[in-house]
Amino acid sequence: MPARPLQRILYVEDEEDIQRIARLSLERIGKFTVEVVGDPLRVTDAILAFGPDLVLLDWMMPGMDGPTLFRQLQADERTKRIPVVFLTAKASGPELAELKQLGAAGTLSKPFAPMELPEQLRAIWAALPE
Amino acid sequence: MNHFAASASALRVARTDDRVDVNPREVLADRVEQLYAQLPLGIAGTVLVGVIAATELSGGRYAEIVAGWGAFVFFVSAARLALYLKYRRSANRATEAEQWLRWLGIGALANGALWGFAAAVFFPSQADEHQVFLALLLTGAMSGGIPMYAASWPMYATYAGGIAAPFTYVLANFGNPLFSEIALLVPAFYAVSVAIAWRLNQVFSSGYRLRHAYQRLAAENAELNRRLQRQLAELDDARAQVEASGRKLALFAQRSPIAVLELDPHGRIREINPAAELLFGYAPADLVGAEMKALVVPEHRTEFDVQWRQLFETREPMSRQRLHNLRRDGIGIVCEWTVTPLVNPAGDTVAVIAQGRDITQELEAEQMKKEFTSTLSHELRTPLTSILGALQLVNSGVMGHPGKDIQELTTVAERNAQRLLDLINDILDIEKIESGKLTLVREPLALDEVLREALVLNRAFGDRYGVRFALRGDPPRVEVNADRKRLLQVMTNLLSNAAKFSPEGGTVEVSADCVGGRVRIGVHDRGPGVPESFRSRMFSRFAQAESALTRQKGGTGLGLAICKRLVEMMDGSIGFAEREGGGSTFYFDLPALRPPAVLS
Repeated sequence: MPARPLQRILYVEDEEDIQRIARLSLERIGKFTVEVVGDPLRVTDAILAFGPDLVLLDWMMPGMDGPTLFRQLQADERTKRIPVVFLTAKASGPELAELKQLGAAGTLSKPFAPMELPEQLRAIWAALPE
Repeated sequence: MNHFAASASALRVARTDDRVDVNPREVLADRVEQLYAQLPLGIAGTVLVGVIAATELSGGRYAEIVAGWGAFVFFVSAARLALYLKYRRSANRATEAEQWLRWLGIGALANGALWGFAAAVFFPSQADEHQVFLALLLTGAMSGGIPMYAASWPMYATYAGGIAAPFTYVLANFGNPLFSEIALLVPAFYAVSVAIAWRLNQVFSSGYRLRHAYQRLAAENAELNRRLQRQLAELDDARAQVEASGRKLALFAQRSPIAVLELDPHGRIREINPAAELLFGYAPADLVGAEMKALVVPEHRTEFDVQWRQLFETREPMSRQRLHNLRRDGIGIVCEWTVTPLVNPAGDTVAVIAQGRDITQELEAEQMKKEFTSTLSHELRTPLTSILGALQLVNSGVMGHPGKDIQELTTVAERNAQRLLDLINDILDIEKIESGKLTLVREPLALDEVLREALVLNRAFGDRYGVRFALRGDPPRVEVNADRKRLLQVMTNLLSNAAKFSPEGGTVEVSADCVGGRVRIGVHDRGPGVPESFRSRMFSRFAQAESALTRQKGGTGLGLAICKRLVEMMDGSIGFAEREGGGSTFYFDLPALRPPAVLS
């Protein structure tokens, strides 16, 4: 478990409505500091600028899908230590297993329960190695 | 010469014939029959010659003796005639042949004695010319007896002996040197005659044996012919059946919508049906003799070679073999083939029957279905995520408290959005299960922990219907090899069904019992039960009982179908029972990984 609590979350999601719901859930209920990015191509810059503890990543996005972006982050020395959690509607058993295999910190399925999302992320954070 | 040659030939046949199993009693009966057949002629001859002799000799001083002798001839002949008539009327001629032969022998002896008496009494008393007459008559009687008694040489010997012995005696004692010499010739004549009778006897016997052997062979031959005819008839029937089957098979192949090709062991086409013509766009004349490989897209011919080799190595039929084939118009199609090698008794593959159909459109449809499923999954869940999320945030109160009416409406909206999500999830699940794309992640699970977790997860749902979930006693500490998420899904389905149909304030009990190597998990409610008419189809897709209550409670009608398939994928079985005291019990059995005793 990391020594410090989970505070800063970067959420990558192209759907504006879902961005709004997730932001409300994470800020109002989870009391996190949240940055939302809609364009997957801007994620690396956003990470470097915002400095998140954890990235919450959608799977299907225009321009670049979640797994491809995840591989890019893993390959980048500046971003590879930041844990990534997938929040996806395309959550079949083998696909989730593949993400875990790639090194994802966790997977959560859409539709998510906004009342429970902060606690689910804290549980994943708590399970991470120091 | 001819006579002897014929006899020798007959004897040779008889010896050859000895190997044939002939019943001697039947041969004897035939000989007796032959002797009796000659008897009327013999009697007639005796009477005729007797009358002539009596007439000729009655002029002398022995007229009374001649008359007496004539009466004797008449008496003997009458007795023999009576014997003949009795024989003819007898029903036991064959079985009593020996007895009839003895009677005939007595008759022959009497007949011989008749002529012997004539020799002994009349010869010395007659003048020279009558002696010549008598000598001629006696030798004639001896010679004439040969054909009469040839079927039994001892009978002839008796008969002729009755003549020769007194005649020889009379000649020898006559005192005339010429007669003395003739007296020497009579026994010699007798011996030759008996020898001839003996030879004829043998010829007759051989003939009869041959006749019986022939009759037996003819009977056997007739029996063989009958059997042959029967077998020929059976063969005809079998051939007719084979022809009918052949016609039927040919008809099947002709009318079949499946392409059927017969290939030789080198992969060359021997015959095709109309469906194959349609499939490839070739006339039979273009395809017969061509290589099947030519109908495969060039880039996929290596696959064809591999499959063809495998077919000849295993000599077993292969089904669902996909092959990229090429039509005459150059269009590539994907076909699914069932290939059957025809193997002869020596184990050689003599032909291959290939049955195939074009599945190109099916594959395209499958791909479309897959894309549709993916779209359904993403495009429907995405707006639902927003709808449900927004409603849950509103209903939780974190955004402030709306008025009571608004709260009621947003609660209705959230509940129905959840139903829509459940429906989408169920449809996706059943589609994945039925297309074989659902893979389970099975692991040993402590059943009691999973059951407790299921109760916790569904507590909120139960609260909505005012129903409490409770474990019945302590579940056994047993492990099952199951997919945790899917096992919880089964429990959630059964618990939510039970909650929906239970009376408010009721308790739904969950039990787990080990029976043999299996564990039975039961969910017991006090609801109205399952209508009898619905029970047989309640585990089918989109099955819902027709009742106002069901419509009111909602549901997709897929929940139990999904449960059934998931349980079966985990090597279990699902069922229903009426609960004692009212209500229903839905249960499923899973194999216990380890017996509870070991775990405890």
